[in-house]
Amino acid sequence: MHSAPKNYSEYHKQLDEALEDKFLRNTLDTFAVAYRANRETIFKEVDERGLIAQIADAKDDACRHMEELYAQFKEQAEKRGVHVHRAATAEEANAIIARIARENDVKRVVKSKSMTAEEIQLNPYLEKEGLIVDETDLGEWIIQLRHEGPSHMVMPAIHLSRYQVAEDFTRETGVKQDAEDIQRLVKVARVQLRRKFIAADMGVSGCNFAIAENGAVSTVTNEGNARMVTTLPRVHVAIAGLDKLVPTLDVALTALQVLPRNATAQRLTSYVTLMDGAGECKANPDGRKIMHVVFVDNGRSEIARDPLFSQIFRCVRCGACANVCPVFRLVGGHKMGYIYIGAIGLILTYFFHGHDKAKVLCQNCVGCEACKSVCAGGIDLPRLIREIRSRLTAEEGNPLPMSLLSSVMKNRKLFHRLLKYAAFAQKPFTRGTQFQRHLPAMFLGKHSFKALPAIADKSFRDRWPALSPRVENPRYRVALFGGCAQDFVYPEQLEAAVKVLAAHGVAVDYPEAQTCCGLPLEMMGQRPTSKEVARQNVEAFSAGNYDAVITLCASCASHLKHSYPEILQGDPLIFKAQAFADKVTDFSSFVHDVLGLRPEDFNNTGEKTTYHAACHICRGLGVKEAPRALIADAADYVPCNEEEVCCGFGGTYSMKFPEISARLLEKKLDNIRETGASRVVMDCPGCVMQIRGGAEKQGLGVKVSHIAELLAENMKK
Amino acid sequence: MPTINQALVDEFRAKAEAVNAVVREAADLDAALQYVVETCEAKAPCEMLAEEADAEKGPLGPNGVPTRVKRIVAAPCLDDESYAKLSAACEARGFSCIRSGLRGHLAGIDVGFSVADLGVAASGTCMVNTDSEEGRLAGMIAEINVIALRKSEIYPHLPAIAEKLRARMGDGTPTYTTFITGPSRTADIERVAAVGVHGPLELHIILLEA
Repeated sequence: MHSAPKNYSEYHKQLDEALEDKFLRNTLDTFAVAYRANRETIFKEVDERGLIAQIADAKDDACRHMEELYAQFKEQAEKRGVHVHRAATAEEANAIIARIARENDVKRVVKSKSMTAEEIQLNPYLEKEGLIVDETDLGEWIIQLRHEGPSHMVMPAIHLSRYQVAEDFTRETGVKQDAEDIQRLVKVARVQLRRKFIAADMGVSGCNFAIAENGAVSTVTNEGNARMVTTLPRVHVAIAGLDKLVPTLDVALTALQVLPRNATAQRLTSYVTLMDGAGECKANPDGRKIMHVVFVDNGRSEIARDPLFSQIFRCVRCGACANVCPVFRLVGGHKMGYIYIGAIGLILTYFFHGHDKAKVLCQNCVGCEACKSVCAGGIDLPRLIREIRSRLTAEEGNPLPMSLLSSVMKNRKLFHRLLKYAAFAQKPFTRGTQFQRHLPAMFLGKHSFKALPAIADKSFRDRWPALSPRVENPRYRVALFGGCAQDFVYPEQLEAAVKVLAAHGVAVDYPEAQTCCGLPLEMMGQRPTSKEVARQNVEAFSAGNYDAVITLCASCASHLKHSYPEILQGDPLIFKAQAFADKVTDFSSFVHDVLGLRPEDFNNTGEKTTYHAACHICRGLGVKEAPRALIADAADYVPCNEEEVCCGFGGTYSMKFPEISARLLEKKLDNIRETGASRVVMDCPGCVMQIRGGAEKQGLGVKVSHIAELLAENMKK
Repeated sequence: MPTINQALVDEFRAKAEAVNAVVREAADLDAALQYVVETCEAKAPCEMLAEEADAEKGPLGPNGVPTRVKRIVAAPCLDDESYAKLSAACEARGFSCIRSGLRGHLAGIDVGFSVADLGVAASGTCMVNTDSEEGRLAGMIAEINVIALRKSEIYPHLPAIAEKLRARMGDGTPTYTTFITGPSRTADIERVAAVGVHGPLELHIILLEA
């Protein structure tokens, strides 16, 4: 039912299968676009950021007081006639529930949706005990009939077509069902499941909030099946992760303003129930429900104690991180999690289901930060995924190529010498162009979807002494952070930036000791080396008293600004690192917001130019207006469909998962083509590498450049 | 006389209608009961989703199961006086009206009537006290759920009802509270919206002046 890839070759095979599933691709595509628009609309009515911050604070607080809340919940629930259990492991939780069933002479169980029940694999356990278990959420019932696991936390059967469902229902009912009539198919469940509700002895529900102040459990559903499950059978067992404990009703009511909005773009689901105590149940002789609440630990106490990962407790299981994930959109939930799906799924797999199940899966994050930007609890999901990669590396040790990489990267001079050697060694393949045109195809394999760039003949750092402009009475003194891609592959982008800056009274410096920002190392789980290069960079820029550190690479900028203070926490350099991070500014923001360049500073060529918003500029740095305004100043800006969706580069991601990177790029190029623009610009050399490579390969006929190049070309002299 | 905030009433109505609730206005509870009877009259007899020994069965409904011959209205939440009125009106039209024993009709009933404790304007939500099992079932197994809501009991948003809810749940006796926002719905097959997967096919809300 559930599987996690053990190695890359197995995983690549699975991904290829998913990518070939046209129905899945179309469904998830339509969903991704509709969800984004609907979510935006439904959040306009509330203070989205304010609510998310409230949830984060309240859940962080609940996490710190988990033990007290558990004790309070238990006391209050017991006072109201509820039996409260706590299971350390999945096995223990299953055993408790099976025992409750035995003690109450239960034969038939109906279930409403519970991810925690999926996590502990309750159904197979109870079935082995001889019980009949029926899922009653429509989607869950469908996948139960098919012996599959959910492919989404909220829409478990989103991967299935009406035809598949009609077949399953035909088999189940013995009556031919019409696939074209979805309304009628839904009613098949209405009829079939009503009978199961009536026949059941025990109902098992999940729990969205366990409220300590009054010992209440709550369920949130659209179908109303949880109401049936908790009302009709004699016995009710609610399963709750310890992370579901909240102190008060107020916290639950606040979270309820976000959970349905984030999950399905609803203001509220059709039904929300709050049950404190074993209430009336006429199926029992004494007229009272037999009610149990089983709290599942299964690694949660360990998470709660972890200073970084405790933020996982903020998760309300809305599934939004999958809804906006470009990788999920391509391959679906069965290939993007073990039981829990999406970004949070990669993380929870590591904690709940063992490191071996997570080690390959958790590599499949492109790092675009779309999930982080919508998370109901403001969890820094991409960072946690990178952190898990580091932990896996630390646990498993580095394979030889990674050890070599690490020792090279720690030694900047060696690293840069190797890059320069590559510039020389590639000559037979580039024949003087910017692409490696003549690499034998056998070396490319799945990487052949884009033309690979060539290393520049002369790096920016080698051009700098001759280039360094003299600026009299400068308005600002800034340092450039080049980043590997621009220093060694696209030095002309940095040259363009220097031209724009110098022409507007900015004195520019290029500290020679700077090296790789370290983000690619983080993505590969190489934490010790990434810390080492971070230290080198902080030192390299600490000597000059610069007004700003400008970078043209959104990914470098986002990493320098946000991750350095995090990864150098506790390091003697932390104060310098923070001061450095505060000064880091992306090129577009500096030019637009600080220098204040406006239409009159440019000769607007009227060239139809569209924009690709690099993940780390629009989400990583939250910069949205400056680049678009600048394009409109210098050319004719044409907006692009899905402008803020990842191009599929993701640094080393495109090397690790070329099949996915290729599809993301394909979409991006299609959208660019549709604008009819003759040029596309962006704030990131990585994206330039990806999009230019794809455009070249396809013969798209659209010029791909860094925004600095557009501005430098069209600047009034 | 409790005060009515018209802006909240308008918002409630708009948000409830946005999720397919039918919203009507009535002067008082008696008028709402009249609406219940008329609604039952206007609908097709309910389908029987399961076997029910003593019930007379009519022709097959749209989902291939028999329909009821004698329609059922359930109103477990009413006081004796109002219930007597409803019961008489039902009897006059040949419906059976019940306030208990709903477990005997789990195959389905026609109309279930509830009175909401309060409403939440931001989402068009009714909060219903469903402590009694009969009251809970009336809103679950009916094809049409009619809920009466006093206009003066509409609150702006969820956090605004925390104290009311806390007071209700705080005294140590078990409670069961249901927030209802539109009819039972699903989008589990190809994300196509469909109503009535388990609970009511329709939700009607009657806003009462008093």
